[in-house]
Amino acid sequence: MESFDITLDAVCLASRIILESGGETYRAEETVEKMCQGLHIPHVEVLALPTGLMLTLMKEDGASVSRIVRVRSRSTDLKRVDDCNAVSRRVAAGQMDAGEALERLREIHCAPALRLPWMVPVGALSAASFTLMLGGGWLDFCVSFVCGAVVQLALPVLSRRRMPGMLGGLVVGFLITLITMVSTLFSSAINIEPIISGAVMPMLPGLATTNAIRDTIRGDLVSGGARFTEAVLTAVMLAAGICIMLSMWGGMGL
Amino acid sequence: MSWWVQLLSCFAASICFSLMLNQPRRTIFLSAVVATVGYGLFLLLRQTTMAYFIATMFIAVACETLARCMKKVTTLFLTSSLIPLVPGIGLYRTMRYIVEGDYSQALNVGIAAIMGICAIALAITFSSVIFSNIPHRKRKAEKPC
Repeated sequence: MESFDITLDAVCLASRIILESGGETYRAEETVEKMCQGLHIPHVEVLALPTGLMLTLMKEDGASVSRIVRVRSRSTDLKRVDDCNAVSRRVAAGQMDAGEALERLREIHCAPALRLPWMVPVGALSAASFTLMLGGGWLDFCVSFVCGAVVQLALPVLSRRRMPGMLGGLVVGFLITLITMVSTLFSSAINIEPIISGAVMPMLPGLATTNAIRDTIRGDLVSGGARFTEAVLTAVMLAAGICIMLSMWGGMGL
Repeated sequence: MSWWVQLLSCFAASICFSLMLNQPRRTIFLSAVVATVGYGLFLLLRQTTMAYFIATMFIAVACETLARCMKKVTTLFLTSSLIPLVPGIGLYRTMRYIVEGDYSQALNVGIAAIMGICAIALAITFSSVIFSNIPHRKRKAEKPC
């Protein structure tokens, strides 16, 4: 029954990658079901949650095997979701067997995430462009660029210090407001509003909200609710960070 | 600020945001175009709650269609196309009014922002329900071939 173990491994890894990289939970479930169809597993039951996955596969002799996969880290990496989806499509179509799929999935899983020298300029430019879009001038563009760069530099430090994701948002909101307020000391031509809202834009839980809606529509109430809570809490934390800094700055009377 | 600067910066912001999410290279340009047209539509309709709904509806339908054509996951297109529509400035104003203690203004602005988010959610729901009904017909049509 060695080939059965390989199938189980491949299926688990595929859904794990999807859950870890920001795919919807129903997509993780669908992937397992499709792959099992392609690999001639007679019966499969799967329950995916944002924080874990449970599945039971039935062997041809009628015995069944269950496995639980815990998903601890969640980030967004759409390329992984896409690659994983391509593998599951090929398996479902019978063009790939379990061994090949497992090998390919391991490659996807081990592929390096985006590195800091890439994230900093891209994050900074995205924050700056949002500021321009929301009606900022070129001076605001520059300040927002600095904000975006600092946020991208701060995020890995925060996650290394085992700061829970939610609290990270608080610090990020705090930093953005601090930089903006300090910059107003140097020039009176700076508009605070587009800078702060533009710099916060890339941090807003857009993907979480979209996924929450799509999960809820599909009837995955538990996942939808969990993701919705995550999105609301992230937004509230960002807002709290901005609020704290704004009122502190107001309190100093500058 | 003239409208073309807003549209251009919307395009740039969308591209940068999709690079942050490590979106597959082939989909980045298309989703940025969808984002820009959607945001243009939103500005044209004077940024009302209805404008949020119509612009999101356009973006969601375009993204679902693109995903079907390229055999990709819809989320790939949807995430970076929708981001310019998120009412960031409304949320910021709400917070500022709360800090200043002007709660009636905060309620005014805050409700407008939340209505915008609800309109976006509703539009995504509609388009996703519509599109989840389409493939069954297609599959049946493909079978005889």
